[in-house]
Amino acid sequence: MSNSRILMGAAVAALLAAAPPAQAEEMTRERIAVGITETIAGYNPYADAVVLIGSLWCKVYGCITRFDFEEGRMVPSLAESMEAVGERVWEVKLRSDWVRHNGDPVVAEDVVHSIERSRSDPDSMRQFVVVSIESAEAVDERTVRITTKEPDATLPDNLSLLPITSKRLYDEYGQAADRNHPHGAGPYRLVEVSVGNHMILERVDDHPMVSPTNPRQIMYRIMAEPEQRVTALSNGEIQIAQGVPPQLVARVDGLPNAHAAFANSVEMMFLAMNPSTHPWDVKEARQAAAHAINREAIVAALLGGRATLLDGPVGEGQFGYEPGYTTPYNYDPERGRALLEEAGLSGVEIDFYTPVGRYTADRQIAEAMVPMLEDVGFKVNLRTPEWATLWADVQAGGVPFYYMGRGQMLDPSRALRQYFETDSSPRLDYSNPEVDRLLQAERRTFDVDERLDTMREAMRLITEDAPAHFLWLHQMAWGVADGIDFTPRPADRVDGWDIHIRKN
Amino acid sequence: MASYLVRRLIGVIPVLFMVSLMVFALTQLAPGDPVSMLVSDEASPEDRQKIVEAWGLDRPAPVQYLSFLKNAVLGDFGSSFRYREPVMDLVLARLPASIELAVYATLLAVIIGIPLGVLSAARPNSLLDNAGSLVGFFGVSMPNFWFGILLILVFAGVFNVLPSGGREPWGMDLPSITGFLTIDALIQGRFDVLWTALRHLALPAIVLGTSMTGIIMQLTRATVAEALREDYVMTARAKGLSERLVLWRHAFRNALVAVVTIIGLEFGALISGAIIVETVFSWPGIGMLLIQSITFRDYPLIVGLVLIYTTLFVLVNVAIDILYTIIDPRIRMK
Repeated sequence: MSNSRILMGAAVAALLAAAPPAQAEEMTRERIAVGITETIAGYNPYADAVVLIGSLWCKVYGCITRFDFEEGRMVPSLAESMEAVGERVWEVKLRSDWVRHNGDPVVAEDVVHSIERSRSDPDSMRQFVVVSIESAEAVDERTVRITTKEPDATLPDNLSLLPITSKRLYDEYGQAADRNHPHGAGPYRLVEVSVGNHMILERVDDHPMVSPTNPRQIMYRIMAEPEQRVTALSNGEIQIAQGVPPQLVARVDGLPNAHAAFANSVEMMFLAMNPSTHPWDVKEARQAAAHAINREAIVAALLGGRATLLDGPVGEGQFGYEPGYTTPYNYDPERGRALLEEAGLSGVEIDFYTPVGRYTADRQIAEAMVPMLEDVGFKVNLRTPEWATLWADVQAGGVPFYYMGRGQMLDPSRALRQYFETDSSPRLDYSNPEVDRLLQAERRTFDVDERLDTMREAMRLITEDAPAHFLWLHQMAWGVADGIDFTPRPADRVDGWDIHIRKN
Repeated sequence: MASYLVRRLIGVIPVLFMVSLMVFALTQLAPGDPVSMLVSDEASPEDRQKIVEAWGLDRPAPVQYLSFLKNAVLGDFGSSFRYREPVMDLVLARLPASIELAVYATLLAVIIGIPLGVLSAARPNSLLDNAGSLVGFFGVSMPNFWFGILLILVFAGVFNVLPSGGREPWGMDLPSITGFLTIDALIQGRFDVLWTALRHLALPAIVLGTSMTGIIMQLTRATVAEALREDYVMTARAKGLSERLVLWRHAFRNALVAVVTIIGLEFGALISGAIIVETVFSWPGIGMLLIQSITFRDYPLIVGLVLIYTTLFVLVNVAIDILYTIIDPRIRMK
C-alpha cells in the first residue's frame, strides 16, 4: 500500500507553486463573460448532471480532488492528501488554508454531509459519484475516513466531482442554504444564478489558487446559437466562446480581436455494435464495419482536420493512454469485404442510428459512413431519431448499431465498466469474461503503474474484440479574445484560475 | 359587458382542460423520457429508479394527470424536473420578457404595416403599392431563424451597432417594479437604461415584427381597398370631403375591425412564435424555456407553459372583443 498515495504532498507543493503570490501584484479589476452552450439548472450544486456546470460548482464550493492536466492525474484540491490506508479504506486530510467565503473552516463533517447529501438529496444527480462508498466518518476536525463497498482505486476521480457544502449551513437553513448562503471554499464565490440564463462568479482575492491576473468576475452566459457566440466574441460582448463549430473556426481566426484555440475533448466518439444483436453477434461483421470506415477522410472533409484519431478508447492526455499501441482496424475495405464474405454475411441489412445536432457534424458523418459500409457489403438503413428518443433507446439497450460519444473520460474506468463489463448497462450488452476480470482488477489496484498496465490490457482486448470501433476525439474549438490568456482544457473546463487578463 | 366577460372567462375553463389533457397525453406518448435526459450518463439503474419514484413517474398516466389537475386548479403546476423550482415561479419570472418583446414587435408591425397597407390600397399598382407588396411578401416568407442570424451577423457583427442578444448587459442595476425593463426604466427616470433596453430589443423585435408587418400590411390593403369601393365612400367623396378624410376616417375605420382581429390573433401567435427568436437571441423569455423543457422532456414545465400560452391567447382575444366595441359602437357584447 506504500504506492497507494494517489495524492502526494509534492502535488500540493506544485499547486501552491502554481499560484502566484496573490498579494505581491495588484489584483486585476477586469471581468469577463464566457458564452456557453449548456443550461444551468439552479442553485443546488448536486442537481446538475452537466460536466461544465459541475466543474463550476467545484470552483465555488471546492472538491476533494481535481484533475491536473499538466501531470495527467488527480491531485488534491480541497484535500491536503488522500491516501488508501486499507483495501477498502481511504483517509482524506483536509487543507487548513481553504476557508469558506463566510470565514467558516471546512471540516470533516462537511465531507461526510456532502457524501450523504449527494446520495440522498431528492434533487441530486450525483449519486453515481458516491455509489461505491459504504460509509464515511469524521475522525477528527480535518480527517475523514471513507470505506468503500469493494476496493476502489477510482475514488479520487469520483471525489473530483463532489462539491463540499457546509453541514452547519445546511442544518440551519436546509436547501435554502444553496440559494441564500452559498459559502464555499473555492477560489470563486457565487454572485448570481439566473436559471437557464447565466451564472456569475467572483474571485476570492486571498484564496491560494487565484492569481492577480485571474478575472475579478466571470459570467457564464448561455448562448445556444454558435453564430451568436462568435458574433458576441467579435463585438466584445463575451471574451471566451465555447463550442465553435468547424465551419466558424476560420471566421474566428479572421477576427481582428480574437483567435481560435483548440483542445482535445475527452469524449470518445465511437461506433457501437451490440453483440447481442445480429449481425453484430458475429465478430467478423464487427471487424468488417471497423475496416470499412475511412476515418482520415471523414476527419479531413467533415471536421476540418480538427479531430485526433483514436487507437483505443482513450487518447493522449487521458489516463490509460498507450503511446505505442495502434488499432488493428485501419481503413481497409477489401479486408472488410473479405471478412463479411467469410462470415456469409454479404448483403446483410443493418439499421444505423445517429443523433442529429448532438455532436459536431454527426448527421453528415453518419451519412458519409453509409456508402463506406455499403462498399464492404452491408445494406444500410440510416436512422436519425430525435436525440431524446435515441438516447432513451440506447440506455434501454434497444439500439443495435449507433454513432455516439462518451464524455467524462479523463479516467476512463467508469466508462469502460459502463459499456464493456458484463451486465453493467444494457446499452452495448457486451460480455467477455477476460475483459470483466481485467476491469475489475484495475479498479482494485492502487498502484498507479500496475493499474495503468491492467487498464491498458483491458483496452487492447476491447479494441481487438470490436464491440465498438473507436473513431476519434474531437478537437473542441474555442474563441478567445486577444486580451485574454486562456488555454482550453479537455473536458469542457473553463476554470477561473486558468484565465489570465493580459496587461497592455 | 361584465356578464359577457364572465361568460368568456368561464368558457376558458373547458379549453384549458382539453389543452392540458392533450398536452399531457402527447408528452406521455412521445418517445424519450426525462430520466434519460436529466440524469447523469453514469447513474446506476437503482439511482434512476429512485428518481422515477421521486418524480412520480412510476404511477399510471391517468393518476399522474389527475394529480396534476388537482394541483393545477389551485394554480400549482408542480415543479420543473430540470430546474427544481415551481413551474409558476419560472414562468412568472420570464413572462414579462416575452410580453415586452411581443409588444414592441407588434408596435413595429402596426406602425409600418397599417400606413403602408392603407396607402397601398389608396394607390393601387403604384410604386408604393408594389413596394408595400414586396415588404408584405418578404415579411410573410422570411424564416425567423435565418433572418435573426442574418441581422446578428450584420448589425452586431459587421457594423457592431447593436448587441447580439440577451435582454440587458451585464451589471445593469435597475430595481424591477413591473418586470418590463423599458417601463421600469421610464418609471425610475433611467433613460440610459431605457436606451440600452431598446437596443437589446431592436433586433429580436424586428425579426418578430417583420412577419407580422407583412400580414397586417396585406390584410389592411385588402380590407381598405374593399371599403373604398363601398357606397358610403362614394357619398363621402360626393359631399366634398378631402381624400385624406375619406381614406382614414371612413374607409380605414370600417376596415379596422378586421385589422384589429388579425393584430390580436397575431399578437397571441407572437408570444408563442417567439420560441425560435428567443433561442436565436438568447432572450430570457418563456419561449426559450419551452424549448429547453421539450429538449429535457420536462413534463410539468411543458404542460404548464402550454397552458400559460393558451390562457394568454384567450385573454388577448377577449381584449380584442372589448376593443371591437370601442372601434365600432354598433357592436354590443351579448
